[in-house]
Amino acid sequence: MKKALLVAGFAALMSTSAMAEGIGVSMARFDDNFLTVLRNGIQAQADAGGLSVQIEDAQDDVAKQLDQINNFIASGVTAIIVNPVDTSATQAMTDAAAAAGVPLVYVNRQPINVDTLPDNQAFVASNETESSSKGVTEQCRLWAEGGKTEVSVYVMQGQLSNQAAVQRTQNIYDVIESGNCPVKINVIDQQTANWSRDEAQNLMTNWLSTGAAFDGVIANNDEMALGALQALKAAGIDMASVLVSGVDATQDALASMQAGELDITVFQNAAAQGGGALDAAVKLAAGEAVEQKVYVPFELVTPANIADYLAKN
Amino acid sequence: MEPLAKGRDMANTSHGVGGLSYDAKKRTRPPELNVLAALILIILAFELLGQLVVGDSFLFNTRENVDTLFNEQRLQIIILQVAIVGIIALGVTQVIITGGIDLSSGSIVGITAMVTMSFAQVAIVNGNPNPKAIFGDAWMDLPVIVPLLVGLAVGLFAGFVNGALIAYTRIPPFIATLGMMVAARGCAKWWSKGNPISFPTESYAAIGKGMMPVLIFVCLAVLFHLIMTQTKYGKHCYAIGSNEQAARMSGINVTGHKVLVYTIASALAALAAIVLSSKNLTAQAGMGVMYELDAIAMAVIGGVSLQGGRGSIIGTCLGALIFGVIISGFTFLKLDAYYQEMVKGVIIVGAVVLDQWRQTKRGRG
Repeated sequence: MKKALLVAGFAALMSTSAMAEGIGVSMARFDDNFLTVLRNGIQAQADAGGLSVQIEDAQDDVAKQLDQINNFIASGVTAIIVNPVDTSATQAMTDAAAAAGVPLVYVNRQPINVDTLPDNQAFVASNETESSSKGVTEQCRLWAEGGKTEVSVYVMQGQLSNQAAVQRTQNIYDVIESGNCPVKINVIDQQTANWSRDEAQNLMTNWLSTGAAFDGVIANNDEMALGALQALKAAGIDMASVLVSGVDATQDALASMQAGELDITVFQNAAAQGGGALDAAVKLAAGEAVEQKVYVPFELVTPANIADYLAKN
Repeated sequence: MEPLAKGRDMANTSHGVGGLSYDAKKRTRPPELNVLAALILIILAFELLGQLVVGDSFLFNTRENVDTLFNEQRLQIIILQVAIVGIIALGVTQVIITGGIDLSSGSIVGITAMVTMSFAQVAIVNGNPNPKAIFGDAWMDLPVIVPLLVGLAVGLFAGFVNGALIAYTRIPPFIATLGMMVAARGCAKWWSKGNPISFPTESYAAIGKGMMPVLIFVCLAVLFHLIMTQTKYGKHCYAIGSNEQAARMSGINVTGHKVLVYTIASALAALAAIVLSSKNLTAQAGMGVMYELDAIAMAVIGGVSLQGGRGSIIGTCLGALIFGVIISGFTFLKLDAYYQEMVKGVIIVGAVVLDQWRQTKRGRG
């Protein structure tokens, strides 16, 4: 037993020493498509620069994430990259890293304390207020072009506890109120499908069973837009008669767009965010000054410019 | 006392409470009837609320462009949205009847979907090479039997590990399947490093198309209903769940039977994964999260006792229908998901409380 403990202790010691000089990354979750692209972006940038990164999965658990950060600090990493599970729980992470003097970079999700970050911390992401607004504005334009003045739509939300879901839904109403939409949008119903294609498929079929006429579906992400499309197809609804929009520009979504089904999506450059975060972390570790808020813009994707995006995600 | 163990009597005495003889006076109506009554009550409640709140009918068609008596589309989605978890619940029911529990089914859905979809991909998507390709070209466009067999093999293997751990090391099923739940989810994420796997062949996509999930669910339900009521395997499940020691004493191979039960349960989870990934045309490492709990809840609502020895496939199917009616009912009433979850929780606990109450009453009577 003693021997086993000793061996385990040495193994732990060795793994820590191997980790030193590296960069620790704590991702909110590993099984999310978008975050996987971002994670790969970090890894690719690290490989290109010959850096070692250790990437941990916080499994959507705020407490676990803070533990991971403290473990990184304890094992002497040169910098930490955090993709926060919960954007309102970042103050403790900032404090922990600041107390240890380890640079910290938040990626993809804007921490609540973004305006009071210490000098050796930064934030790299896209501005979520742009995300679905770009898609909805385009949807408005297409409806107006098709000669409509008033439309009815369904809204599919992501997980209700998630800030991006709340923001992307808010964006829709902001566009409606801003007067930038030439048509009047009536939201028939708004429900969550938890970012999931299967739940979206079921939700859309439930909506279809009410028989209400509608002109489009606005989904918080592509997976749900694809679920809605599969339900519409199964019900034999003409794809030309409804406008469906998503966010993310995943490969599946682009293939659906090529097949003439999905109308609009918005590209968030995950790989650029990941690479940008690693760059910022490396610079901070070397004591260089960096821009504290780096915004990677969202880009509208439609059948017209889809070719530019096929190889990006 | 009547002589024991002859044909029909055997059927009446090997169930549940381990009663020694059959007494017609003590016989209560089957618990499935209560579940059915609850189901009808919930449907009527939605019908009534629908008329009062949204001015529409839940069951009957009110759309002008469709000419049917019932709202067939709604009736279809009620079953369709629970069919896949329902398939898992069939296996979970058998596990619970033997007095065990299976927490790993959701994660087994995850890993099976990932592995299966990797063998079901097409080489060319819209004229371009498959952007989500896992293996090389030689592994593309395989006949549909290949992913099917691979998927089932994954399920059988995971279930065998579960069963062997429980039967041979004697660790509690809760722990063994908890370990599998965590490990299998890890495998699912590791398989493609978290990347989703998409674009299956047309023949694979046909498995979960349209109402196919329901058809598969119903066929499996009938099959396992017959197995549980008509075969030695079924009787042994009830016997082990009622009193494991007694079952062992009477010569039932408890160890072997447990391995078999967990293997079947995981194979059903694997089948659910195949249908799920086919229906959605994609496999993702996060697929099936919480499915194990939904499946357990369906069984429990349907009158399957967590103490083992009691319950039926019919009950579980009714439990699944209650789930489906609630989901569709709340969407129909345009109520938010928050309330849906709250009510789901209340119904799960309420079902067990009612069942417990009925049990004690029967125990006294």
